[in-house]
Amino acid sequence: MLNEKRCVITGLGLVCAIGDNTEECFESALSGRSGIEDVKSFDTSNCYSHKGAEVDLTNGQLADGKYDRTTALGIKAAGEAIADSGIDMNSETASEIGVILGSCIAGAACVEKYYNQKVKGEKGDFDDLKSMPASVIAGNVADYYNAGGMTANIVNACAAGTLSVSLAIDLIRGGKGEIFLAGGCDSFSSLAYAGFHALRALAPSDCSPFNHSDGITLGEGAGVLVVESYEHAVKRGAKIYCDVLSSGVSSDAYHITAPRPDGEGQMSVITRGVRNSGLDFKDIDYVNAHGTGTAKNDESEFLSLNTLFAENKDLYVSSTKSMTGHCLGAAGAIEAVLTVKALTEGKLPPTTGYSEEDLKVLAEKSGDINFIANKPVEKEIKYAMSNSFAFGGNNASIVFAKDPNVLNLSCPKQDLYVTGIGIVGGEYDEATDSYIAELDSEVFKAYGVKSAFLRKLDRLSQLQLLSGLKALEDAGITITPENEGYIGICIGTNDGPMTEIANFQKGIIKDGIDKGSAFAFPNTVYNAAGGYLSIATGIKGYNVTIANGFQSGLQSVCAAAGAIMFGYENIMLASGTDECTDIDTEIYTDLGYAGKGGMKLGEGSVTCVIEKDSSAADRGAKRYAKIGGFSSCRDTSGDRFNNTRLSETALTKAIMNVLEEGGMQPSDISCIYGFGNGVEEIDNFELEVYKKIFGDNIDVKLVKKDYGEARAASSSLQFAKLAEDIHDGKFESGIAVSIGTSALYSAILLTKA
Amino acid sequence: MNNEIAEQIKGMLVERLRIPADELEYDSELFGEDIGLDSIDSIEIIVGIENLFGVDISGAGATKEDFRSIETLTAFVEAHKEG
Repeated sequence: MLNEKRCVITGLGLVCAIGDNTEECFESALSGRSGIEDVKSFDTSNCYSHKGAEVDLTNGQLADGKYDRTTALGIKAAGEAIADSGIDMNSETASEIGVILGSCIAGAACVEKYYNQKVKGEKGDFDDLKSMPASVIAGNVADYYNAGGMTANIVNACAAGTLSVSLAIDLIRGGKGEIFLAGGCDSFSSLAYAGFHALRALAPSDCSPFNHSDGITLGEGAGVLVVESYEHAVKRGAKIYCDVLSSGVSSDAYHITAPRPDGEGQMSVITRGVRNSGLDFKDIDYVNAHGTGTAKNDESEFLSLNTLFAENKDLYVSSTKSMTGHCLGAAGAIEAVLTVKALTEGKLPPTTGYSEEDLKVLAEKSGDINFIANKPVEKEIKYAMSNSFAFGGNNASIVFAKDPNVLNLSCPKQDLYVTGIGIVGGEYDEATDSYIAELDSEVFKAYGVKSAFLRKLDRLSQLQLLSGLKALEDAGITITPENEGYIGICIGTNDGPMTEIANFQKGIIKDGIDKGSAFAFPNTVYNAAGGYLSIATGIKGYNVTIANGFQSGLQSVCAAAGAIMFGYENIMLASGTDECTDIDTEIYTDLGYAGKGGMKLGEGSVTCVIEKDSSAADRGAKRYAKIGGFSSCRDTSGDRFNNTRLSETALTKAIMNVLEEGGMQPSDISCIYGFGNGVEEIDNFELEVYKKIFGDNIDVKLVKKDYGEARAASSSLQFAKLAEDIHDGKFESGIAVSIGTSALYSAILLTKA
Repeated sequence: MNNEIAEQIKGMLVERLRIPADELEYDSELFGEDIGLDSIDSIEIIVGIENLFGVDISGAGATKEDFRSIETLTAFVEAHKEG
């Protein structure tokens, strides 16, 4: 049964302030050596805090100096993980390896450089511009090492690294891959420093998790794990560290930056992780906690752990952030690597920085749980968990084990249907020569969204919220205490909140790092839109945001389907969202796309409700279409260092995969919703490939000529329009296809419901 | 009440916190049902007022009551503004 496919860890890579590789980092963590020092990357003299956990290596030492620092850190850790796994990257195996990386701030170092030039009136550097979005990270790392499997960038802020590992195991169990490099990377940045400074969330001195809890210390780094199916690992004679059992993902539906004080979201995700792994709370031996060092996190995490593990007298807990700093999107991945080492070596790293006096206070607060303070604990253990809780109320949990256990993912395979559609599209605006959506506060009011809430949302989040509300309405779903935990959200975006990022960065360039806006900073994270959607609707299930090129809207459907397939949820909202502001227009003009050929920018958000058969039947839901198959493919043929290359092989493979999954032939397909956007080279390439597969008479529909290039919103719209056409009886079946960077393509087959 | 200060504070709230100007009166309860501000907004108000008037309202001991409305913030700024 696909749900029981065993997943193992066969390689580790790590770089952060406490070491340049896994061994060095683990040794430092065990000996309590902190990497926190005075910040070197930029001047903090006007700030109330001056501490950071930076990596001493230059970008040239990390990669070859051609990449943004976040990507360079990812390349460094991925290289170690590959070497550790023993895979020859010129072999057939390399072509199967997928790359899933989490990041919070993406190319923030390049954002800073680029806008420093722009505010001076200079032309920004083209390489910096290309490296700014999260969308390019995993593809660049994959290309660097000639890994030819699918890619994804998970951008759920501080939970991103954990979610990447979670998605990798889901894809393996869903039959979408055998081996992944999964982890996260984030560089030190003035953007994050100014943001947390503005929120008064930085510790005045070294952070002190589960102790003084007076704020975080930011860090940088990357962690990468080779996640592989057991069969694949055994077949190639790989060294196996441990099993990775299962994960939990949930959302707080509470606040954009603060965790719920009652710990409900944290307890929900820990419970999901333990239960999905087929375990009980008393089975867990070690928890690598989120433990950021803010009062709000630490208090709710103490509460959550003490409540759930009340019967477990042998549980050990620590936060390694006291040494590594908080590495944001890399944090979960770094901690996953340290957790695997702790599990396999029987040495549990401590939380550092306790005085004698602090230890007495800790003893009172920690109840029966053994919080590991200052010195490591040597103990043979069997099950270890790593937890991450992020901005947007996104929570993720992952469980590693010394044995395969019997998982609790017994969801029988069910057909999946599109049962609701919400479309927010742009209309042509002559002044900007682009397609702009109308966002009327009265429309939000009609959905019960108060202006006190709406004012906090940036444009991207408003677009997302509106399409989500429309989709729920169309599907006839009301969120209740009974269903809130069985509904999830998966959002795809190409550029994310680039407007908010650029404006925040320009603000601190002008006013200083100490003068960032506390109001604007939360909206600079890519998953803010998903967070607000969950807060506004009360959806508390799975929540992930994927930033991976134009095709992100289709990849969100693929990930949503995965979340239902494993019984995590009954219903998923799958969206594609991108905005078109003056910042986007400037970026696409500088990139040379806007105005190229017939391409015009657009914006919008499209949300589709994806639902399993039994749930749709129980509700008597309207069914637009059935999902017949989904696939994401890429390859490294051609000039693999050009991440805008086209690949006939990968596009063909994605289409053939969905036909095979749906048991259909090319001749059965009468309609394709394609990604053509008016750029001649792309349009011609696409049509040629379709003609080769389907013949000359295939009907290719292009939504972008009516709505503009709205990137992820466009790929979602292709999917939604196809579903509507099938529902209206125009076609029996069809395929929606889209394109990402580094020769990535996604295809989804829809058939009559 | 000093209307000039009140108007500047209102402008700051509209710009920095995206509060619709037509919903914001001098006596609107900022952290209540009317406007619905939260702790992040209060940080933004502190920075905004320091930038406008050079008054460090948290350092000068402002209480929750001083943050109640534009009127109370204006009174606090008036009392602590130099010159």
